[in-house]
Amino acid sequence: MSGYLEGVLVLLAINVVFAYGAFLPLAAGQLNLGLAGFAAIGAYCSAYLSTQFAVHPLIAIPLGALLSGLIALVVAVPVLRTRGIYLALATFALGQITKAAILNLAFIGGAAGYPVPSYVGLPVVLAFALGVAAVIPLLFATRFGIAVRAVHDDERVADLMGVEVRGFQIAAFTLGAMIAGIGGGLYAHHFSYIEAQYFNVGLSITIVLYVLLGGTQTTMGPLIGAAIFTLLPELLRESASWRYVVFAAGVIVLMVLRPQGLLTRGVFRRLFDWRHSRASARDAESLAEHAA
Amino acid sequence: MFAQQVVNAVMLGSVYAMVAVALTLSIGVLNFLNFSIPGLFMLGGMAVWALAHAGVPLPLAIAGALAVAAAASLVVERFTWRWMRTASPFVPLVSSMAFLLLFEHLAIAYWGSDMRVMPDALANGNWRFAGLVIGIPQLVGLICSVGLIAVLSLLLKHTRFGRALRTIAEDSETALILGVDIDRVVAAIFVVAGLFAAFAGVLFALNYRQVHPFMGEAVGLKAISAMIVGGMGNVWGSIVGGLVIGLAEVFAISYFGADFVDIAVFGFLLLILFVRPTGLFRGMQTVRAGI
Amino acid sequence: MSAEAILELEQVSKHFGGLSVVEDLSLAVRRGSRTALIGPNGAGKTTVFNLISGVLPLDAGAIRMNGADISRVASRKRIGLGIARTFQNVRLMPHLSTLENVIVGQHSRNAGWRGVLHPVNLSPRNRWREEARAALAQAGLADYADASVGNLPYGVQKRIEVVRALMAKPALLMLDEPAAGLNPAETETLQLYLEQLSGGSDLTLLVVEHDMHFVGALCRNVVVLSFGRKIAEGSPDAVRQNPQVQEVYLGEPAAAASGPAAPNRTEYRRAARSA
Repeated sequence: MSGYLEGVLVLLAINVVFAYGAFLPLAAGQLNLGLAGFAAIGAYCSAYLSTQFAVHPLIAIPLGALLSGLIALVVAVPVLRTRGIYLALATFALGQITKAAILNLAFIGGAAGYPVPSYVGLPVVLAFALGVAAVIPLLFATRFGIAVRAVHDDERVADLMGVEVRGFQIAAFTLGAMIAGIGGGLYAHHFSYIEAQYFNVGLSITIVLYVLLGGTQTTMGPLIGAAIFTLLPELLRESASWRYVVFAAGVIVLMVLRPQGLLTRGVFRRLFDWRHSRASARDAESLAEHAA
Repeated sequence: MFAQQVVNAVMLGSVYAMVAVALTLSIGVLNFLNFSIPGLFMLGGMAVWALAHAGVPLPLAIAGALAVAAAASLVVERFTWRWMRTASPFVPLVSSMAFLLLFEHLAIAYWGSDMRVMPDALANGNWRFAGLVIGIPQLVGLICSVGLIAVLSLLLKHTRFGRALRTIAEDSETALILGVDIDRVVAAIFVVAGLFAAFAGVLFALNYRQVHPFMGEAVGLKAISAMIVGGMGNVWGSIVGGLVIGLAEVFAISYFGADFVDIAVFGFLLLILFVRPTGLFRGMQTVRAGI
Repeated sequence: MSAEAILELEQVSKHFGGLSVVEDLSLAVRRGSRTALIGPNGAGKTTVFNLISGVLPLDAGAIRMNGADISRVASRKRIGLGIARTFQNVRLMPHLSTLENVIVGQHSRNAGWRGVLHPVNLSPRNRWREEARAALAQAGLADYADASVGNLPYGVQKRIEVVRALMAKPALLMLDEPAAGLNPAETETLQLYLEQLSGGSDLTLLVVEHDMHFVGALCRNVVVLSFGRKIAEGSPDAVRQNPQVQEVYLGEPAAAASGPAAPNRTEYRRAARSA
């Protein structure tokens, strides 16, 4: 496999992991603008473990994610008392605090960045990405998925139906942070160097945007979003910055034309379930007309 | 010494206040948090650097920077609000985030991601008064900020434009019935907000002499803190908020050291969000917390 | 109080600021009965529902379910105690399908770690899914199971909401204006469905309604509220002939033979929607 193709696949895999990290809170109705901070925690923790204690990356990366999850759990309790825009701002502040904190920790490089000698190649990165991309949709096929989406749609009614609203909100937030931590760990060990400035709010925004691009109504949306974000600019072959410009412009246009994202439940059903659902949808429509 | 620090805090606070005013206008009237405003702040700062660097005399450079910001604001308005008035309020927020990204990476594409320094010869005098050192551009900037905010405040209270704004803030449908030309007024809001943000960026560039494409992020969050402290939608509250944040930052440097400033200030913001997100004063409109 | 009562309100009061919305209200709902809660605009009916389901805390008095005081029980736990409800403005989850909305109703019976991780959406043969489908079929809604609820007709949505509430296998089902916005055919379907449900079982119905024909056909017992106070209670006929009730609805004691089904009923319903 050519080095170039390998590079693209690695990026795609890491972006898929980040995408699911943003998808989880979004599915519960939370905008986590501090996601990059949790990615940073995973990155630095796993890098520190593999560098200072010779922990194998395959163990260090999950451990880093665990730390992200623990910290997320601790802050989730007060942060998730806020809602909507206040929640988004609180997570924004969290992400900035994390970045600032890391910049001050000299033992992991501070502002100069932190080199990461342990290396993971494409197979490992792909394995983690496939793992995440398999586990999350499976999780959402359980009552967990229904409860989370119920909380997203109507907290009050979900609560009256017996759903532990706070519990699911905290779970979605924490799980998303852990997945972001995995992404950070993969990034650190593949690119062999991390700096706090990379894990800024621009990164959080970018990830959120490509998840929204793909659509948050189905668990396949994050895959689509990550794929488009990673692969389409390759066709343009421009410098990194112009790719972001085109991506951002694309999102802006998309929000005008199709704010629900590319992959909605309707589209999904039509694509993957066409024989069954076309019939029942047609029946449902005609019944609806009849009853109206 | 203490008084000098207060002076510095006031200067810094006026920058935050200007950006906070820009944000508070959008939230108060249009009920959405316009994430592109930190981007416009950055554009103001970088544009004035780029023009000054190219040899353009300072007044023209400033005018040029403001013009760029005004044009950019109109584009933002077109694509976040104009076509999406009826869609969910979440859409303009997301689009404004995309615009922030767009502006940041456009800046990197044109000017690279390095920090840039303003040319030395430019506007660098100091004024000594009662043992305090006050930079002249800082002082001018401060006077302009307060003046502009005062003018805006008067406008909001006493003119038809101001009444139109407040009507839209209350209920945009009523505003339509009352004959308010919403499109034009909203466009004006975006431009005014963009100009305030860009002017703050210019001030920042002149005072602290360093600009870079990501300068909007930290300042943006501090301005958001200022806005929240002062009450969303409250223009004078933004001044108070800006001062509070400026003071917090300057004194945090003394007590915690420069390294921990950001942590202290953003920690303070978190505290406010947990305890009293509505801020110290009531704003133009109670913000609906929905996204 | 009586051992036959499944739900008792004892001198319940609720104020919002200076406004007293429910005033010293006492009532007992008999197990297995079909009771209607009626009253004009602002009478406090939906507030009573909100107090019983725990959305609002009491300012005074107590609420008992099967004799036990539930006044301080968290709203989330009340469905586990047997109280399920529907809402005045239909509140289905817009991004979930009909079937998924109904599955949400099962949550209180399938909680805990094993419940949460139960793969209800994975295989079509899952027993919870089957149970949800069967319930929809019993309500005549089988064909809407996979449809997205947002586009469905209002009457269909209202019935889905009832099915969702039933999935919790409640002892007490509270329906907030279930017939509002339905045409006569839909209203009759709903009435028959509710009769069928409560006929053979212990299910108790408490219904807030304005449609007096519906109330008269379905409910044996009617409680009338006005400005947060109970002003009458009894069979539909008795209540209809009660002069106080007539005065409250029509403004004068002389009533038309058909009772409180006033001529400007649609206006009345629209106004009462904000009660």
